[in-house]
Amino acid sequence: MTRSRLTVMMCAGTGCIASGSMKVKHALEEEIKKQGLEDEVKVVMSGCNGYCSEGPIVEVYPGGVFYQKVTVEEVPKLVEEHFLKGRPYEKLMFKEPLKKAPLPEIMSIPFFKHQVVRVLRNRGLIDPEKIEDYIARDGYQALAKALTSMTPGDVVKVVSDSGLRGRGGAGFPTGKKWELGLKIKSDLKFVVCNGDEGDPGAFMDRSVMEADPHAVIEGMIICGVATESHKGYIYVRAEYPLAVKRLQIAIDQCYEAGLLGENILGTGFAFDLDIYQGAGAFVCGEATALMRSIEGKRGMPRPKLWRSAEKGLWDKPTVLNNVETFANIPQIILNGAEWYKSYGTEKSTGTKVFALTGATRDSGLVEVPMDTSLRKIIYDIGGGIKKKGRAFKAVQLGGPSGGCIPEQFLDIPVTYEDIKKAGAIVGSGGMVVMDDTNCMVSTAKFFLEFTTDESCGKCVPCRVGTKLMHDMLADICEARGQEGDIEVLQDLSYDIIDSSLCGLGQSAPNPVLSTIQYFRDEYEKHIRDKWCPTGVCRDLTTFVIDRNFCKGCGACMRACPSKAITGEKKQPHLIHQDACVHCRTCWDTCKFNAIRILPASARTASEEEMERLIVKLFGSRPETAPEPTAAKAAASTAKAPEVTK
Amino acid sequence: MELTINGKKIQAEKGQTILQAALANGIKIPNLCYDKRLVPYGGCRLCIVEIEGSRKLEASCATLAKEGMNVFTDTPKVRKVRQRVIELMLVHHPLDCPTCDKAGECTLQDLAFEYGQPRARFVRERKDKPADSRDPLIEINANRCILCGKCVRICAEHQGRGALGLIGRGFPTVVQPAFGEVLNCDYCGQCIDVCPTGSLLNKSFKYKARPWMMEEADTICPFCGCGCTLTVGKFEGKIARSRGHEDTGVSKGSICSRGRFGVDYIYGGERIEQPMVRINGKLAPSSWEEALKYAGDCLKYVVTVHGPSAVGAIGSPRCSNEDNYVLQKFMRQIGSDNIDSSAALGYGIAEKVWQRAFGLSGHKVSLSSPLGKEAVLVIESDLNVTHPSFGINLFKATREGTKLIVADSRETRLAKQASEWVKVRQGTGTALLNGISKVLLDKGLYDTAHAPKIKGFEELKKSLEEYTPEKAGQITGTGAEAIIAIAESLASAKSRMLALSIGPSENAKGGDAVMAAANLINLLGESPDALQIPAEYANTFGLYKVGVRPDAGPMYQPVDQAGQGLPEMLYGRANGAGRPPVKALYVMGADPAATFPDSQNLVKRLSELDLLIVQDVVLTETAKLAHVVFPAAGWAEKDGTFTNAEGVSQGLCRIVDPPGASLPDWKILADLSEAMGSGMGIKGRRDITDELLRMEPGTSEPATPEFHAVRYNPGEEPDEAYPLSLVVRDVLQHAGSISTRSRSLGLVSPEATIEISRRDAGKLGIAGNERVRVVSRRGKASLTAIVSDEVPDGAVYVPAHFPESGVNSLRHLSGNGEGPLDAVRIEKS
Repeated sequence: MTRSRLTVMMCAGTGCIASGSMKVKHALEEEIKKQGLEDEVKVVMSGCNGYCSEGPIVEVYPGGVFYQKVTVEEVPKLVEEHFLKGRPYEKLMFKEPLKKAPLPEIMSIPFFKHQVVRVLRNRGLIDPEKIEDYIARDGYQALAKALTSMTPGDVVKVVSDSGLRGRGGAGFPTGKKWELGLKIKSDLKFVVCNGDEGDPGAFMDRSVMEADPHAVIEGMIICGVATESHKGYIYVRAEYPLAVKRLQIAIDQCYEAGLLGENILGTGFAFDLDIYQGAGAFVCGEATALMRSIEGKRGMPRPKLWRSAEKGLWDKPTVLNNVETFANIPQIILNGAEWYKSYGTEKSTGTKVFALTGATRDSGLVEVPMDTSLRKIIYDIGGGIKKKGRAFKAVQLGGPSGGCIPEQFLDIPVTYEDIKKAGAIVGSGGMVVMDDTNCMVSTAKFFLEFTTDESCGKCVPCRVGTKLMHDMLADICEARGQEGDIEVLQDLSYDIIDSSLCGLGQSAPNPVLSTIQYFRDEYEKHIRDKWCPTGVCRDLTTFVIDRNFCKGCGACMRACPSKAITGEKKQPHLIHQDACVHCRTCWDTCKFNAIRILPASARTASEEEMERLIVKLFGSRPETAPEPTAAKAAASTAKAPEVTK
Repeated sequence: MELTINGKKIQAEKGQTILQAALANGIKIPNLCYDKRLVPYGGCRLCIVEIEGSRKLEASCATLAKEGMNVFTDTPKVRKVRQRVIELMLVHHPLDCPTCDKAGECTLQDLAFEYGQPRARFVRERKDKPADSRDPLIEINANRCILCGKCVRICAEHQGRGALGLIGRGFPTVVQPAFGEVLNCDYCGQCIDVCPTGSLLNKSFKYKARPWMMEEADTICPFCGCGCTLTVGKFEGKIARSRGHEDTGVSKGSICSRGRFGVDYIYGGERIEQPMVRINGKLAPSSWEEALKYAGDCLKYVVTVHGPSAVGAIGSPRCSNEDNYVLQKFMRQIGSDNIDSSAALGYGIAEKVWQRAFGLSGHKVSLSSPLGKEAVLVIESDLNVTHPSFGINLFKATREGTKLIVADSRETRLAKQASEWVKVRQGTGTALLNGISKVLLDKGLYDTAHAPKIKGFEELKKSLEEYTPEKAGQITGTGAEAIIAIAESLASAKSRMLALSIGPSENAKGGDAVMAAANLINLLGESPDALQIPAEYANTFGLYKVGVRPDAGPMYQPVDQAGQGLPEMLYGRANGAGRPPVKALYVMGADPAATFPDSQNLVKRLSELDLLIVQDVVLTETAKLAHVVFPAAGWAEKDGTFTNAEGVSQGLCRIVDPPGASLPDWKILADLSEAMGSGMGIKGRRDITDELLRMEPGTSEPATPEFHAVRYNPGEEPDEAYPLSLVVRDVLQHAGSISTRSRSLGLVSPEATIEISRRDAGKLGIAGNERVRVVSRRGKASLTAIVSDEVPDGAVYVPAHFPESGVNSLRHLSGNGEGPLDAVRIEKS
């Protein structure tokens, strides 16, 4: 293999592929060839880089120069400037948010600067389809160590001592699970990797499987060593074709390299590994349902009459861990428990990967020590709220099983204990940030719609209870809410939590409970005033233009899909209620905060009544004076608003 | 271990759940998805309990009982959650209890009554989809379903069928056959029994009677030899339905399609309500007095002129022990041992072999015998069809790890679900078994310590010489390896069993196959119990035991000189030196003219009799030839006992009144005896019971095994004129011919079919579902041809249940050494 002068790491994670990285890669190769640089510059497909909102992403080594949103059109310039002339191409670099200065180095970008990568340590650095790349980064060293210089008991002890807890959501101590797995004797035991990631907005496991499949495999083989098991399954949902493909390539490479199969590394230890593709049922992420699914049965949880460690897959002892959990193992074995515990808190050690999405400026995969605060993740790494003039409202943690945490808890660390105390769960690591344009009742309804749809239907509380909760929330959002609904929702939630069979049902009411807890007034406005203050619930809104603020710029008029807005230039506009479809486009469009969202009852109100209502609900001036950028531009032309009456 | 439930200390076994322990100790915990026969499910959440020291409420069906546990089943907290769960179940449940057949015996209704709240918190649209009533027997109403999954699970886990599934996910989940097609199942109807709501309904019972207006009584199923208990409901003097009741009877409440849907057979066919006497060639109604006197006089005349041995009788496995006992007593009082029954074509053969091979009498099976066996070999028998409650345990055993080897020519469901299906050529069971024995001998895999000491060992060895695995493999078509493999499986197993069925409605194996199986058992050094051949019909075992056989009286007491059996009386087989052919025949509850092999010739034989007296419930083909016909009370119209294939005598009860002037069979015989001036000292049923009890044998004798060499007899080999082998096999919906009178069963199995392989059908240009003429050397029949992938080339499969089909006219008498199969040809009609 000839050594190249430059290595171009082209992100080939699902996110970047979706934004066109394969086309860019092709263009890069063509251009490099055109310039006659093919011996000097090598293009390598890397796994997910994590900074998914800025894809397609290219990193150039040596130097670690980071390019974002690379397009085919920019490729010739990039090749010419950087690869040929040796001048990093500023146009595609990340710009420092305030000073707008380009930051060439990846580690100086805020998104990356605050992260501590252990599970994601190989991101952007290796080609996930090449076992050599993984081995070059100490891959399979841990396995060799476990097989040659450690007893199964030693391995279990290191994992126990590290304090690693299940990264799938429940946070069960991994060492404890393995200990039981080792203790129970059987002719056949299984190691199962749960890659049935299904929370809306979560993609940690997908990225790990895509970017570093060997880390997962190595973790599983080590688990086999530790629990004296010789057969493993990776359960991946079929909607993750790239993960399946890369895992399969990795497994094949392992068999070829003697890292799977009989006599691994010449030690006599045998381990076989297969991929089982799930059909996309969320509930199959539940361990017992997942095992039934592998058995070829309907994926339904079974009562915990026996622990999976005793009777799991095909009623044989089974150790099941999540993708991220397994991916942590090799580093723990290699570096020791103390090293792992150097981050995090006493009970929540190490790092955790979060999928940061939603209203933040930057979104993507974020790996942080477990004592990092939410604020740091959202503001320092994520860059805060993206939309100008909008404020943080809540962060949803733990997917459909989690809850919404409001601003006052932003300084708590993301440990299992603290997040739980705040009313959510760490879960698998989904972190959806919401700004103040979000309606919390609708958010709760969204999650209940998800759980209602994904409930397997086996137990009554989950099957019927979540459906009833969803229907009640829909009623509330569609102006059929009744006094007392909040109490019934809470009551029903506790019944479902108390009596459901599996984790899905036991946690499904959490989004409702947490939003009621922190945003009860919003529920009350929905129910009593038939008013959705954020304008999300169409049936609970009247959109009107506050004449005091309208500059008559016409932006809303042009944006209105139903042509419900009329007005003369520079004159306050008017929304015709009979034509309005309550889509909120005008509100989103207006730069002057002149659109007001009133209760649905205002639709038939006279102009005077509306005025009065605006004053009553908002005061004569907006409660927060936004500083819209366009306002300045318009300021020169706009006189003080006059009420034309 | 000991635990406390509601303050009461109770004992529990290890591995028992709290619910099981509670129920076993008479503590009620409400539940909707639990069934003893099924794996705990944990779906309904009603059985939740509070456990001291546990933070959460636990489902008692899914929590193991532990030593010292302190459980509370009825605290306010628990009651509240139950109330809430039931509330949820009822939100979308239709309010159609007034027209729901389940109302009154609906668990959901009962629980709503106990836990329901007077006011509903949730008012939502109630489910209102049309019910699926496409199937003729079972209606599925998804609106009422609470998705406890019991139906799905009983079908898959217990019945081994899997005809129903949970389709969809979450709230819209429904119970349906795969792909929403019409139900295609065994029609055991267990799903109906386990359904806690009115979602699965017995269509034949639909809108017939409110459960609380019915009288229910337990009785014994009239069909096969399993002897399951049926809970029969009566409404307005008629049987309205039959169902299984959890934990009741030999099958613990599991019943099959025949027991559930077939009991309406008693209303099929026109009942005889009056005695009839043939006058001027025609049967004319008569009074009991006249008919009894006439019959008695005629009988006396035959006895006087031709001697008592000119009188013969045929008993019936459909009649009770009392009826059969009195019949044989009547005959033996006359002085004749010429008494036999259809058992001579089935169980009687097995029993005779049993006596010869083991020196024992009264061969019985245990329905649970397959459970826990390491290896089971089934020889050319569809035990799941002939004896469903026995067959179900073969499936269960297989699921639990038994190696079930099914040697059969046809790919039956038993074969499909067995550990191994060895496809043998039809009617070659004897060769297969001999081949296995030969392998055991050659490889020294037999009981070398004891077997050589058994009488006949050397002769057996010699006779088996020709059955090398190669030769046996050639005869059976399995090849040598398969035979060696079976032999090795049986030899290496710690516990093993051979099972087969033998009956008048089958022809693939006879006494020789049973003997070959017995030889194998003795070679293996197994106890005789390792051979399991269930008696075919409801009281076949019983009638044999009470002496309806020519060679022995009640309780297996041999007679000095055996009388004439069926082959002699009906088929003109050599009947011993100087014995006159039977001139008068007394037939009780049997229909040789339609249901015995070679029926066409039998009609001739019966027409030639000087005197034919028939007592039956309908005017059978045989009765039509009779000189005197007595109307008999049928099943469910009289008290008595049946003895099942396990040898268990169980009480039958009179549920409905017999029609017209009909009387119990024993009563007719007792009256006839009185009319003849002799009398049997039987005034009431009690007298018979007392006599039978007095005769009940004490301790059983020890086994004295003996080997008897048997050879494989191919029987009627197919040739150019008759190129196909006719295999007569039972179908699941019928047992004997009486079930064909059932209207309900007729909806799913209405007529005799002939199943033919795709290749043979192609050769004959048969596309399937068409009428064909089947011709043998003895007779012909018109049947509907079905092309089946389950049957082999060169053989056709027909059931003998349907008397009118003419199938029995095609057959010859087989079973006692005669080659089993018949050769036929098929003509397109």
